[in-house]
Amino acid sequence: MLKRKMIKNFTWPLKIATREIEVTRLYPEVMMELPAVERGIHELDATTCIGCGTCARVCPNSCIEMVNFKFGNPLKNKKMQFPQIDFGRCMFCGLCVDECPVECLKMGKKVIMAGWERKDIIKGPDFLATKRFSAKEVADLEAEAKRIAAEKAAAKKTAAKEGAAKEGAAKKPAKEGAAPAKKKANGAEAKPKEGGAA
Amino acid sequence: MTTASEVLSSIQSAFPGAVSDARVESDRRLWATIDSNKILDVCKHLTNKLNFDHYSGSAGIDWIARNEMEVVEIMASHGAHQVVAMLKVKTPRANPSVKSLTGLYWNASWYEREIWEMLGINFEGHPELYPLLLSDPLVGVWPWRKDFKGYPDYTTGERAVAIPTPDGYTEYSFPPTQAEIEAGTVPTERPKYPTFLERETREIKSDSEMIMHLGPQHAMVPGPFLLDVLVEGERVKKAFLDIGYIHKGIEKIMENRTWLQDIVYTDRMCYVASLSNNECYCGAVEKILGLEVPERAQYIRVILEELSRIQSHLIGTGEFLTLIAGVGFAPWQYMIMDRERIISLIESVTGARLTHTFVRFGGVRNDLPDGFAEQCKKDLPYMRSRIEEFIELFAQDPIYHARMENVGSISPETGKRMGCAGPVLRATGVAYDMRKEDPILVYPDLDFKVITGTRGDSADRIDVRMREILESIHIIEQCLDRIPSGPIKTEAKIPKKVPAGEAYYRVEDPRGEMGMYVISDGGDKPYRVKVRGPFYATFQTLTPLLEGTYIADAVAIAGSMDGCPSESDR
Repeated sequence: MLKRKMIKNFTWPLKIATREIEVTRLYPEVMMELPAVERGIHELDATTCIGCGTCARVCPNSCIEMVNFKFGNPLKNKKMQFPQIDFGRCMFCGLCVDECPVECLKMGKKVIMAGWERKDIIKGPDFLATKRFSAKEVADLEAEAKRIAAEKAAAKKTAAKEGAAKEGAAKKPAKEGAAPAKKKANGAEAKPKEGGAA
Repeated sequence: MTTASEVLSSIQSAFPGAVSDARVESDRRLWATIDSNKILDVCKHLTNKLNFDHYSGSAGIDWIARNEMEVVEIMASHGAHQVVAMLKVKTPRANPSVKSLTGLYWNASWYEREIWEMLGINFEGHPELYPLLLSDPLVGVWPWRKDFKGYPDYTTGERAVAIPTPDGYTEYSFPPTQAEIEAGTVPTERPKYPTFLERETREIKSDSEMIMHLGPQHAMVPGPFLLDVLVEGERVKKAFLDIGYIHKGIEKIMENRTWLQDIVYTDRMCYVASLSNNECYCGAVEKILGLEVPERAQYIRVILEELSRIQSHLIGTGEFLTLIAGVGFAPWQYMIMDRERIISLIESVTGARLTHTFVRFGGVRNDLPDGFAEQCKKDLPYMRSRIEEFIELFAQDPIYHARMENVGSISPETGKRMGCAGPVLRATGVAYDMRKEDPILVYPDLDFKVITGTRGDSADRIDVRMREILESIHIIEQCLDRIPSGPIKTEAKIPKKVPAGEAYYRVEDPRGEMGMYVISDGGDKPYRVKVRGPFYATFQTLTPLLEGTYIADAVAIAGSMDGCPSESDR
């Protein structure tokens, strides 16, 4: 036993010198078992987060900031804003988890977050997200979101037109025919604006 | 048994016209506004005729909209009855001044000094009105007033004067404005805390005397505070206590956070007893909201608070015993090992080891996990056997006896008069426990006794704590047998804005009576939160206790109080 330990003491520095491995070893070597309700580093389910910002508002230390992140669900989270947590300030009270309306934020059993610089412990959604969509899925969802937005805009526009037609049917008869053609040509970008105006 | 309405009618008949705006909330709470000229007489009457021998503290409130200030004297009794009288004294905001109660109650001194330095309310007849918690530049800006603009006062500009120090730092000074000097609202010469040199020149009378610092960093109490002792040879002639080294202004912070966020700050007042702090704040808010806590949640709270008491007593005692020769370092290691089991039990429910943020308005955060009762049934009998072993160990050690017995003895009368709290008071033989006096949650249904000592010395305090752990284990076992199934949170919707109202709520902290006085003005933030900490009350008695003892006993006396300056400074 003793011999093995001695050999380990010699081989370890050699390993460190020759290969790039973890320098700091855990002690005790096996971490203690943490309970299921442990309040460690947050886990974000980016597929369900709606980006409402409740977590950022309820945080007593205001360590949560909403930032852009690509791999969420554009159907639910239109602005694609997800929480970024400054663990230098976080005190792991768990209020953000309690107040989340869709329960997409959890606190996990991860507790180690050492970094080389101060900014390393500001963890964005990229680090926090345990569930996320791939780039292709996001593109599909975005296309769907655009389609839905377009449908809505179209429905609104027709509704507005019908209303306008009822109000002043005689005013602009010439433009009515041109409008649907313009919609198709401009694509998705113009539609939300029109919908918003309507 | 005296009830609150009887107390009110007694005051009204003795002093016709002195009481206005009285409200009897329950049998145990009386709210009354007393004429400021008659407050001393009313207090005398309460003490002499109605057994109100416990001055529990006072709170200052700035009512900026009504243009007046209020001092609330909290009066209770050491076991004669259960009424808490909240006597309000009003004073105009322009030149606030009320009568000091230091002549009647010795322990009113610190509470009044704190109100004076924070709010600028002058106390007529106070013998030593100088700062307690604040540093010198902040004295005179009255930080707890509602129109305080922050430090330094950037918003008004000309008020703050930046003074560069030779070391390269910047200090700020706040000269009073001309208007304030004319109105007399700010004393032109503010009393400052005496510097060490001033104290030395004033107090040292002969060559054989010297002043010794114990602190600000000293192992006898885990937290910074300065104990200056004037010694002649080995004897302590006089002691001076400076606190405020970790004054965090939690009461002011709590005014600026929402109701929910404030739970987090109560944790940070005393991290060893954070569950009872949570309970105290949430209980007070529940009282204002009129919320009913489900029975299962009440049992969970009781179980966790008793577990928290066990771990607090273990670390307090263990840490203290490292300073005492004899049993020495061994109990510390044993106690920390055992405490780890209790901490793991608490962690398995709350998810955090020390700052739990666990209690919520009308319930608790998590339910008990599967297998919690089984784990308790394993750990608690083990803990009981260990504690019995500790008691035996202390009883057999001659050095422990020599250092602890008849050291820092307090008689029951002195303990009551000085307003000691918790195990320090109970060691003198006064059975004063909030769990019996002002029962909350399911404590009335549970069977337990209040542990008391006989001599009131350091050894007794440790003994009381050890036997209290046994009692706590007994309580937890009862709770685990009786705990019903059901919801852990109230069904009622908890509003973001708490309706206007006020409540005073008391719990038994591991260190004694803890009270929180919460005022809501109908907003989403508390208007005022006053924390009446248990160690603040006990800490005050340290200086008279030390006089006449040996310098070596100072550690044995101060350490046995199981202090937490973090909570006394807030």
